[in-house]
Amino acid sequence: MLKNLTIEGTAKLLKDKKISAFEIANSYIKEIKESKKLNCFITISEEVAFDAAKKTDARISENKKIGLLDGVPLAYKDLFCTNNILTTASSKILSNFTPTYESTVTANCKSQGAVVLGKLNCDEFAMGSTNKTSFYGPVINPWKSSDKDDELVPGGSSGGSAAAVAADLCVASLGTDTGGSIRQPASFTGLVGLKPTYGRVSRWGTVAFASSLDQAGPISKTVEDAAILLEAISGHDNKDSTSSLKANEQFYANLNSSVKGLKIGVPKEYMSDDLPEEIQNFWNDGKKILAKNGAEIVEISLPSTSTALPAYYIIAPAEASSNLSRYDGVKYGLRVQEKNLIDMYESTRSEGFGNEVKRRIMIGTYVLSSGYYDAYYIKAQKIRSIIKNDFDSAFKNVDAIFTPATPNTAFPINREEVDPVQNYLNDIFTVPANLAGLPAISIPFGLDNSGLPIGMQLITNSFEEQMLLNIAKNLQDTLNFNVQPTQWWK
Amino acid sequence: MNNNWQTVIGIEIHAQVNSKSKLFSSSSTEFGSAPNTQVSLVDAAMPGMLPVINKFCIEQAIKSGLGLNATINNKSIFDRKNYFYQDLPQGYQISQFKDPIVGEGTVEIDIDGKKKIIGIERLHLEQDAGKSLHDQDPNMTFVDLNRSGIALMEIVSKPDMASPEEAIAYVRKVRTILRYLDTCDGNMEQGSLRADVNISVRKEGDELGTRCEIKNLNSFKHIGLAINFEVDRQIKLIENGDKVNQETRLYDVSTDKTRSMRSKEDAHDYRYFPDPDLLPLNLNQNWIDEIKKTLPELPDTKKIRFINDYKISEYDADVLTQDKSISEYFEDVATNRSTKLSVSWVASELFAVLNKLNLTIDKSPINSKQLGSLIDEIENGTISNRAAKEVFEEMVTSEKSVKDIINDKGLVQISDTTEIEKFINQVLIDNPDNVQKYKDGKTKLLGFFIGEVMKVTKGKANPGLLNQLVKKKLDN
Amino acid sequence: MEFDKNSTLKLAKLARLSLNDEQLDSLEKDLTSIVSFIDQLKEINTEKIDPTSNSLNQDLILRDDIAENKLSNEDLLRNVPDSELGFFVVPKVIE
Ligand SMILES: [Mg+2]
Ligand SMILES: [Zn+2]
Repeated sequence: MLKNLTIEGTAKLLKDKKISAFEIANSYIKEIKESKKLNCFITISEEVAFDAAKKTDARISENKKIGLLDGVPLAYKDLFCTNNILTTASSKILSNFTPTYESTVTANCKSQGAVVLGKLNCDEFAMGSTNKTSFYGPVINPWKSSDKDDELVPGGSSGGSAAAVAADLCVASLGTDTGGSIRQPASFTGLVGLKPTYGRVSRWGTVAFASSLDQAGPISKTVEDAAILLEAISGHDNKDSTSSLKANEQFYANLNSSVKGLKIGVPKEYMSDDLPEEIQNFWNDGKKILAKNGAEIVEISLPSTSTALPAYYIIAPAEASSNLSRYDGVKYGLRVQEKNLIDMYESTRSEGFGNEVKRRIMIGTYVLSSGYYDAYYIKAQKIRSIIKNDFDSAFKNVDAIFTPATPNTAFPINREEVDPVQNYLNDIFTVPANLAGLPAISIPFGLDNSGLPIGMQLITNSFEEQMLLNIAKNLQDTLNFNVQPTQWWK
Repeated sequence: MNNNWQTVIGIEIHAQVNSKSKLFSSSSTEFGSAPNTQVSLVDAAMPGMLPVINKFCIEQAIKSGLGLNATINNKSIFDRKNYFYQDLPQGYQISQFKDPIVGEGTVEIDIDGKKKIIGIERLHLEQDAGKSLHDQDPNMTFVDLNRSGIALMEIVSKPDMASPEEAIAYVRKVRTILRYLDTCDGNMEQGSLRADVNISVRKEGDELGTRCEIKNLNSFKHIGLAINFEVDRQIKLIENGDKVNQETRLYDVSTDKTRSMRSKEDAHDYRYFPDPDLLPLNLNQNWIDEIKKTLPELPDTKKIRFINDYKISEYDADVLTQDKSISEYFEDVATNRSTKLSVSWVASELFAVLNKLNLTIDKSPINSKQLGSLIDEIENGTISNRAAKEVFEEMVTSEKSVKDIINDKGLVQISDTTEIEKFINQVLIDNPDNVQKYKDGKTKLLGFFIGEVMKVTKGKANPGLLNQLVKKKLDN
Repeated sequence: MEFDKNSTLKLAKLARLSLNDEQLDSLEKDLTSIVSFIDQLKEINTEKIDPTSNSLNQDLILRDDIAENKLSNEDLLRNVPDSELGFFVVPKVIE
């Protein structure tokens, strides 16, 4: 098998003709089939993959210039609509849906020659941070704790996207991040996860969860790969009214790992006694590294931090409750036949949606309903303004903000859930960047005492992804974290 | 029965913007296509689809707002109105709720020569729904999404109307204005303009009563009948000690009655909120000013100008300005011609023909140039008025020019004095008795002699000249 | 806000979800807990703050009015649960 391949590495192998794209694809497909236990893939698109790989090989044999993604095996969260390939959003209600169109994001990768191995499991409609809400069952984290044999969650909602890269079932993947759904699973699996600035990446053709928060982004082994993928998927799309008009940038070519003279803020509100000591230690290590490498670490204040999570759990469900109204059994997807229309709607949606999705639809419906709209929805949108203002003031003084990515490491799949709010707390460090629309990245820092990965987060101002990647690269190069999980699942 | 009852009417007009493509997608708006052939991924609410707004529709909304003397809001917001229905693929309609593109305005109506101002509350842009067919199958409803997503302007009036006549006059006037502006074709049969009528009744001096909304009326006749029925129904209810329920009702064309809509039984909570797929619409004042410059002369202004410039009656001016094409047709004809002749040929002769053939003026078999040349022939004495009617009739079906018709039919008027005198002399010789009677004082017989000359000339004698000459002959 | 059976049912109706008693029970509990979590915002003073519904600071993008029908009826109905004669078909609706 091909172990620990990066996009950069794959591109080099292909360029040097060490191996053919078909052989690479074939090896990954075989690996995916032998790793069903992890439940990363909902659909394996073998034929499509082989077809694309052969085209890459043809280009190489004709000595055509090939790009960095050409022939590179990727896989996509099953939230991206893919032409002629089943797209389910991990929901029963879309379990029979095959789009006749291709999302802008995946079309961009396709046009650059990427080989798509298949569609990755995730939380149903991206709602969750454990990957346990999927109609197709939970994804299992390739990492295990050194002292217990429990199967662990990979995080969510892009759990399959993270687990698949960590287990070498694809070179890199795409996920979506509404409240932390790229960064948290990346952190739980020892990977780099990047959420771009809101508007940087087109949402066209990506199943919507919360429209004002959703952004697609890469999960990869290295910061370099994140830069390559971000560059590939971003840019203005006239099919998305919330797509930024800013010109695309050459994130990969412009990578520069120097942090000399940069001011990096550490928000005091992110420190708490509840934060596990090991996470605090890695956080402190990070500060020291950055300082040693020439950055200035400053304590800053983001006073509204504690309001972000409750505001998020108003805004996201509100938008979701409306976005998910289209799943009604009329035009596509599951239909439970009934004698009258309303019964058909109700049976279809009750049968088609899982419990977490129903919960969020109900909460969203509640906060938008008459009599509660101002008290909840408008209130949350105002809180959002405050959070944005906090960040705006902070970025007057600092170039980036450095925080932990998650308040914990991967936990057992069968952990008892008493209260949905308990799970919501997973997003506590990641949600503010979504509400403010800011780019943020999660970088693997090391393993805790039980051998589980811990990630740290960097946040920069809007459209400052280059700076974000540069600082991340500095940390990556200094830390030189390069541990992979043992292959217990085969 | 209606003694001391007052009717209060407010109207929501849904006017289809005459755009080529839909409000948030590029699908065509063409009428009458095969079912579900003008539906994009966006219109069908496929997963991951996003709305992108049509610039032309915004322009048309601004134009309409200006035509309704309304304020244009520099910032407006698109909201989602959430409800489930088979013809609403997204499960929400994109509309404007708190911040519409157009604010308050006014429309002037004319009832029996009296003017009344009807207030406009707002105008906003929204998506149309699809169409449901209930009679194709006993157990199933068929849905066609061709209309789904077409741009509508919803124009909401204040509850300023007090009778079916005022309601009709209002809708007619708004329709006229939109057609002048060329923002909506106003075709009510095809559903391009529909009215939802809100009706309540109260005793004079009382507070507003409970209102009912009658949805989707698509002809002036139905608006009138539905209001009459509904007013009677509400008064009867109250007089019998019952209460009027606030509800949405449907007008049944086959019975001329309104009935409660069964499918709308559930209390609605539309959960409006700003559509997160769209950013706020900020209108640059320059753009609004540019659009203002392109506004055509509107019916009220044109009517006053017609009265002043052509010295025609208010009634005639009204008739001639009720439609932009009519007014333009009239002006084409009347320029440098007799106003009197122009009015009568357009407003009576031409309108009669159009009515008979059920045609609009744009489809008139006689264009303004042709009608103008007919009037020219009358004015320069080539043909008589009577002959002109014969020519006109021929023009309806013939492609021939006015001159050719006159020549082919031999209708050229005799205006030569010596020639007419010859005919007069003959008539006088043939009727010595009547000549004597005339000379004895029975001057009424003048008509008899004129008639006789007309008979022998087959109506071709120039009537003015003939009159003059006969009189001269007899009085000598 | 404490959710009871009635308020939960009313919301479910609006959201077009039918729930059995067991689901209702657990939803009542969950909703009560989530609402008490979001209720902490009530203490925050937001009086002079404008709401933000989208963080992207940009003018709305406008499209030119060009009509094109790109999707065939066949592709439109590719995933449809029930259709006839090119129509979407649903259980009979009585207006
Ligand atoms: Mg209405
Ligand atoms: Zn409307």
